Amino acid sequence: MLRKRVAQWVAAGFFIAGSAGLVAADAARDYVSIVGSSTVYPFATVVAEQFGKTTAFKTPKIESTGSGGGFKLFCAGVGVQHPDITNASRRMKPTEFEMCSDNGVKDILEVKIGYDGIVVANSKKSPQLKLTRKEVYLALAKQIPDPKGGEKVIDNPYKTWKEINPALPATKIEMLGPPPTSGTRDAFVELVMEAGADSYGWVKGLAKSDKNRYKAIAHTVREDGAYIEAGENDNLIVQKLDANPDAMGIFGFSFLDQNVDKIQGAMVDGVAPTFEAIADGSYPVSRPLFFYVKKAHVGQIPGIKEYLGEFTSEKAWGDDGYLADKGLIPMPENERKQFSSDVKTLKSLSIGQLK
Amino acid sequence: MISPGILVILLLGMTALAYYIGLRRSVAVAGNPAAVRALHSRPPYYGMLTALWCGLPALIIFAGWQAFESTVITHFVVAALPPELRELSPAQLSLVLNDIKNLNSGNILSGQINPAIQAAADHYRRLQGIANIALAVVVLAVAISAVAVLRSRINKHLRARNHVERIILWVLGASSTVAIFTTIGIVLSVLYEAIRFFKAVPVTEFLFGLQWSPQMAIRSDQVGASGAFGAIPVFAGTLLISGIAMAVAVPIGLMAAIYMSEYAGKRFRAVSKPLMEILAGIPTVVYGFFAALVVAPMIRNLGQTVGLDVSSESALAAGLVMGIMIIPFVSSLSDDMINAVPQSLRDGAYGLGATKSETIKQVVLPAALPGIVGGVLLAVSRAIGETMIVVMAAGLTANLTLNPFKTVTTVTVQIVTLLVGDQEFDSPKTLAAFALGLLLFLITLGLNIIALKVVRKYREQYE
Amino acid sequence: MNKELKTIDIVNRGLERRYRAERRFRRLGLGAIVISLAFLSILFASIFMNGRGVVFQSRIELDVFFDPELFSEGDVGRQDYPHLVKTALYNMFPEVSGRSAKRSLYALVSSGAAFQLRAMVLEDRSLIGKTLPIWVPADDDVDMLLKGHLERESGRLSEQQLAWIDQLISQGRLEKRFNTAFFTSGDSREPELAGIWGAVCGSFFTLVVTLVLSFPIGVASATYLEEFAPRNRWTDLIEVNINNLAAVPSIVFGLLGLAVFLNGFGMPRSAPIVGGLVLSLMTLPTIIIASRAALQSVPPSIREAALGVGASKMQMILHHVLPLALPGMLTGTIIGMARALGETAPLLMIGMVAFIVDIPAGFTDPSAVLPVQIYLWADSPERAFLERTSAATMALLVFLIAMNGLAVVLRKKFERRW
Repeated sequence: MLRKRVAQWVAAGFFIAGSAGLVAADAARDYVSIVGSSTVYPFATVVAEQFGKTTAFKTPKIESTGSGGGFKLFCAGVGVQHPDITNASRRMKPTEFEMCSDNGVKDILEVKIGYDGIVVANSKKSPQLKLTRKEVYLALAKQIPDPKGGEKVIDNPYKTWKEINPALPATKIEMLGPPPTSGTRDAFVELVMEAGADSYGWVKGLAKSDKNRYKAIAHTVREDGAYIEAGENDNLIVQKLDANPDAMGIFGFSFLDQNVDKIQGAMVDGVAPTFEAIADGSYPVSRPLFFYVKKAHVGQIPGIKEYLGEFTSEKAWGDDGYLADKGLIPMPENERKQFSSDVKTLKSLSIGQLK
Repeated sequence: MISPGILVILLLGMTALAYYIGLRRSVAVAGNPAAVRALHSRPPYYGMLTALWCGLPALIIFAGWQAFESTVITHFVVAALPPELRELSPAQLSLVLNDIKNLNSGNILSGQINPAIQAAADHYRRLQGIANIALAVVVLAVAISAVAVLRSRINKHLRARNHVERIILWVLGASSTVAIFTTIGIVLSVLYEAIRFFKAVPVTEFLFGLQWSPQMAIRSDQVGASGAFGAIPVFAGTLLISGIAMAVAVPIGLMAAIYMSEYAGKRFRAVSKPLMEILAGIPTVVYGFFAALVVAPMIRNLGQTVGLDVSSESALAAGLVMGIMIIPFVSSLSDDMINAVPQSLRDGAYGLGATKSETIKQVVLPAALPGIVGGVLLAVSRAIGETMIVVMAAGLTANLTLNPFKTVTTVTVQIVTLLVGDQEFDSPKTLAAFALGLLLFLITLGLNIIALKVVRKYREQYE
Repeated sequence: MNKELKTIDIVNRGLERRYRAERRFRRLGLGAIVISLAFLSILFASIFMNGRGVVFQSRIELDVFFDPELFSEGDVGRQDYPHLVKTALYNMFPEVSGRSAKRSLYALVSSGAAFQLRAMVLEDRSLIGKTLPIWVPADDDVDMLLKGHLERESGRLSEQQLAWIDQLISQGRLEKRFNTAFFTSGDSREPELAGIWGAVCGSFFTLVVTLVLSFPIGVASATYLEEFAPRNRWTDLIEVNINNLAAVPSIVFGLLGLAVFLNGFGMPRSAPIVGGLVLSLMTLPTIIIASRAALQSVPPSIREAALGVGASKMQMILHHVLPLALPGMLTGTIIGMARALGETAPLLMIGMVAFIVDIPAGFTDPSAVLPVQIYLWADSPERAFLERTSAATMALLVFLIAMNGLAVVLRKKFERRW
């Protein structure tokens, strides 16, 4: 009897399978759809949650797709199936703006939300390091200007920090950092490595005369094991630093802020990475974060306008706002005023601004 | 009003009813229960045939209707909109329609209710009501008439079994095409972007390049930064990590399977097998943390005590942990297959004086080989596809090395990192992910063809 | 004396060695199982140790006065609820003055306190004007301190805050209470408010679609390919093709889902139905391969006997071969579903790796799934999410065990040796 039932069960399974696939509803969208950078995600979600829990609107849906993937989805067109807002840890590129225009996404509102500090940190079991950007560059670049002088480069010979500067400890150079696909890495290269390379006059000169060579010297990170490309999971980097006191790591300020009992930020150019130092600009390594809004959707998808209002309110992104509690470095007050008035008037972005 | 969901349930109920109508009818045709032998097929086949005729056409109509209903209704609603709304671009129109649908389902709205929108929403609701009733009438009419026609056709000579079997065979055959469509879909969704990648990077450089470092510019003004897209180190890394994983999983999994099916008591097996299967279901993030924070430092310290230079991210740590994760792929499937080897084979071997282990090694394992190979194949596949453990424990740097103490990376890890990166989506860097996917697909295809040939050669039919 | 060697002597001489090999073999087998189970218990223990704390959540008792003045005008839902919380706190510590001191006092309470009061008022307007003692969630740092995951001198909490916490504890106004929020609410960026119910529902809807599609289709195609399809190049191609699909990285299935289901068929983003479709395509090869192997292992004698008594080929397969092959097919399904349950990468492409607070109610509502929730929490900076991550993992394992339990029972029922 059992055996016969098997056949019937399989047949019934088919039937239910077929039917389940058929009842696909074409539901309307009544929530804001947001995509984009995983760096902006922790901040955007706080705002979304506040917004969802204090208004009658649904909580916006926020996907973590990476900035590039976010723009790809955002620029795919106007319509309910496309996202309304994309978060980005870098500015939109002119080519992306063109892709948007080609697909009918002509009016875009750009909002800068604040700054994210990038810290170089190590375990509290080791002494705090005092680094200059030049030293970081010398430790991490694939090729460095010949220390003997002359306008040529050699493969990076340094194995320990002490070799770079006798004041530094004699530990092996071991830096856990983001992979080249990450916006954090991009910002780090530009703000630290480039500045370090510029301390050599002739390299700085190359920036104008031979751009490609300049980039090769200033931007390429060594691949011999001293720089370890870790994934984007910054919690893991923190825990690895805790387990290995000799290693150093590169990640966002909010992770340092949450783990001050385990790790410490290295001083860069004599400034320690504190909230205040990043906010007033004396700590040199921080980059702006953005989001972009599809204007055609404002007033059509319920809640976009109100979400923008929540995000640009002082209680969110102000000096004492809840975003600051989560580790976002606020913009100066006049910049905040500028952007919140842009949001109110829905000022369109032009391609000229991006170049 | 009958909603589509209720309609489907109704249809399922009717199908069940049709089964009994067919069954009863056939018995009635035969005259009395004892005379069912006179029928061409056994009564349940008449029932099944009736049920299939009742359910299948109605469901097909239902599916077709559902696919087009929305488009048709939208068309009518748009046609009735005031001209200033009607002339919007299709994209804008979709936003207006969204408002209309939101109004209908009582969702929150983006702004004030416009009388034109309100009218359109009422129109929409009316049309949808009509459509639902019409659908119900059509579907139920088809189902009922099919049952009626078939009921009248049932007689002693109706070849019900053959009809049912043909329908079943057709359904089975149709199911086996799903895999082919999947493959076509995968190739198509990867191919286009891969071709764009090969326009930027020559195929030869990609296939034979010995360096993988996609440090290429995130922004176009950084073109100068070096970027190398040689796929060999990435594939070598995949090979290394999967190799280590298999070196862990195959012996442990196979021995566990042998013990469970040949030595262990019934109760031990009933407990240990499902327990081991849980290993395959633990989220990979958990394994990743375990590999990165427990295994990797352990290997590193061990290496340092014997004077080896072990990096904190190593292929060995990732491979070992991954091996543990895929043990159940080998153990459970092999256990089933070993269990299915006929007892007579074992008895024969025992009769010749072989010990238990000799029987297993020389008789049972060869007989269960096709199944074991299947399990190993699945385990390899899973090892190739794993990302989280590798990212966390072995890093992302592509070294061309066979030293398990070095950091390496795998194809899948690169694909995932490239796809979710912050760089521009249409840059060669992101497109490289598609090229990697395509190449991996082709390589595994080649390996599978070889594997098929090998298995065919050694496969034996017992009994 | 018969010096001639008998066969039995040769056998006897080797016997000792053969028995030793036998024992060694047996011990190896047992060892393999012990190793696997040891790892399982290590993982279980670490997950459990990290996650057990989640059952309790620190809460603070506040005497909240629902000030009618606050509700005198405007929509009840849009009032300044944080103000009620702040007033209640300041009344408890009247000596606190100064902006920064007040800020750090308010920081002891979760922002969820205001949400809780809002929900209470919306439910029962008659609360306005009353004063009630209410237990509101404490901030995650306070919770971590009480649970011992945070040292007092960590720097996360100031001396002043620690003093307030001690005072609250001595007054019996700060204690750990059962954490219902974790089991009933959706995702949140505040660890003390975050729950898994949304993800559990999402996983349930997704896996229902996956199971309902992949099991019947998998068994059917395996049956067709193994039993009915003619042996030729074409079926070889299909076989190789299916084996190959098993090796395709899961994220590629996500790309396929994006191209076909979202862009092709216009299905909604982030919906469990699309997730289920993608995961069932991913699981199919596993089920097909396992099912084919199971069918191959059914002995020819069974088939011949069935045919011999006059069964048609279809009857032979449906009534005799399939039931015998079912245990192997169920194993394939268990393993495939376990993988589908733990998968995040393909869901990334179809928008299910997302922050979703509202609990999904159906197959088309946006939702996340458990592994996505685990992945997102593991990546969050707040320390308290570590505990939630482990607890969510436990929830996933419970889900897995429940799902497998059914299949294991079925498997035992059909399993036999002949």
